[in-house]
Amino acid sequence: MKYKLLSIFAIAFSMFANIANAEVDAAQAELFVKNTTQEGISEIINSKASQAERDARFEKLFNSALDLKFIGRFVLGRYWKTASEEQRDKFIDVYRRLNVKTWSKRFDDFTGKEFIFKGTSPSSSNNQVFVNTIVPMDQAQPASVVWRVKQEGDKFKIVDIIIENVSLAITARNEYTAFIKKSPDGLNGLIADLQQKLKQE
Amino acid sequence: MLKHFVAVTAILTMMPIAAHASIDDNWLESYNRMMFDFNMKMDEYLLKPVAKGYRAITTQDVRNRVTSFISNVNEPVSSINHTLQGGIAQALTSVARFAVNTTLGLGGMFDVAEGWGLKKNSVGFDETMAHYCVPDGPFIMMPFFGPFTLRSGAGYAVDSVSSPVYIASLNDANYAAKISYGYTGASAINSRERALDLLDDLQKNSVDFYSTMRSAYLQNRQKMNLSCQPANSAPSYDFDFDDEDFGD
Repeated sequence: MKYKLLSIFAIAFSMFANIANAEVDAAQAELFVKNTTQEGISEIINSKASQAERDARFEKLFNSALDLKFIGRFVLGRYWKTASEEQRDKFIDVYRRLNVKTWSKRFDDFTGKEFIFKGTSPSSSNNQVFVNTIVPMDQAQPASVVWRVKQEGDKFKIVDIIIENVSLAITARNEYTAFIKKSPDGLNGLIADLQQKLKQE
Repeated sequence: MLKHFVAVTAILTMMPIAAHASIDDNWLESYNRMMFDFNMKMDEYLLKPVAKGYRAITTQDVRNRVTSFISNVNEPVSSINHTLQGGIAQALTSVARFAVNTTLGLGGMFDVAEGWGLKKNSVGFDETMAHYCVPDGPFIMMPFFGPFTLRSGAGYAVDSVSSPVYIASLNDANYAAKISYGYTGASAINSRERALDLLDDLQKNSVDFYSTMRSAYLQNRQKMNLSCQPANSAPSYDFDFDDEDFGD
């Protein structure tokens, strides 16, 4: 009985240790980005559906492929730690909606373009990996687009996109934290400003 | 010519002092924000309307020819800098591209060389200085010219005086100003036209456009500096929640 219990503990511990030290499956992460971009190109960009239908498809794809809560926490930097639960929820909500709105428009610029996959690079976080792609451009050298992908169990989420060496998450973090620092209303001022941008056409 | 070299030398001698200032130091921020606002006003009332007008009266194909022409003029600058970096094969490629495109490509309007397998690989004196680990220096917003670091500003100045356009203007006293200003103006309008949609989009969705531009500009330069970073301190897009280096 004692040996049986010990064995169970040993197996449970080894399973836990494996999970804790689990490295990201780079091949699966790359496949996830391939499928996501493929879905975006075939179901949205090249689709003949109405604009409203394409926008709805984009929002669904965006919400399922990106970990907006993770990104939102990062872009608020130190202000996330001092924010109330209500402020956090409001920020994540407006940040998500604003990104959906802006990126659904930007997505159309990819018409006629394709992603060429160039393998993966390791991240210092052992559950994340960089998936490298390039996009051939007219009249210019190919643009580099790198996807930072996080693995949780067998699920993958994009947590940053780095276009021509410019990280969207780091840029947003620099912009938002600079705004909060200057704004007399701090984080509430940022949320109000983002909500205002959401209303603009 | 001499006064330009004096100016460039003066900028270069400032570099060791500036090198102590991290690119994230904001001691210049008040000046930079003021100059950024000035540049944005100049853009709103001058450069952007002209760029829009240029788009309105030209076709995409015409604009592509102008872009190719401007790009071709810079091939000798690339060739010099490839040589300075020890890249003789790339230097010869740039020379060959210039020769082929200037002749068969009708003054550079068509990139015939690309079709022959001679790939474009543009570099300037900024990259050459990065190659020899000259520090980037602080971020500076220049009136009319936009964002620079001390090193990229020095690189721009050296590239300008090593360009065939500058040499041509020296050899033709009657048209020197017309050649220089004409080329600079055409380059600025062409660049602005190409960035019209992107900048409008960024500005519309930004809560602090200066911070966005500064961040994107400095990040875009990180790759250039990678080879000279000490191990484990290379600029990285790896981040976690304990990272407080950004956004101060």
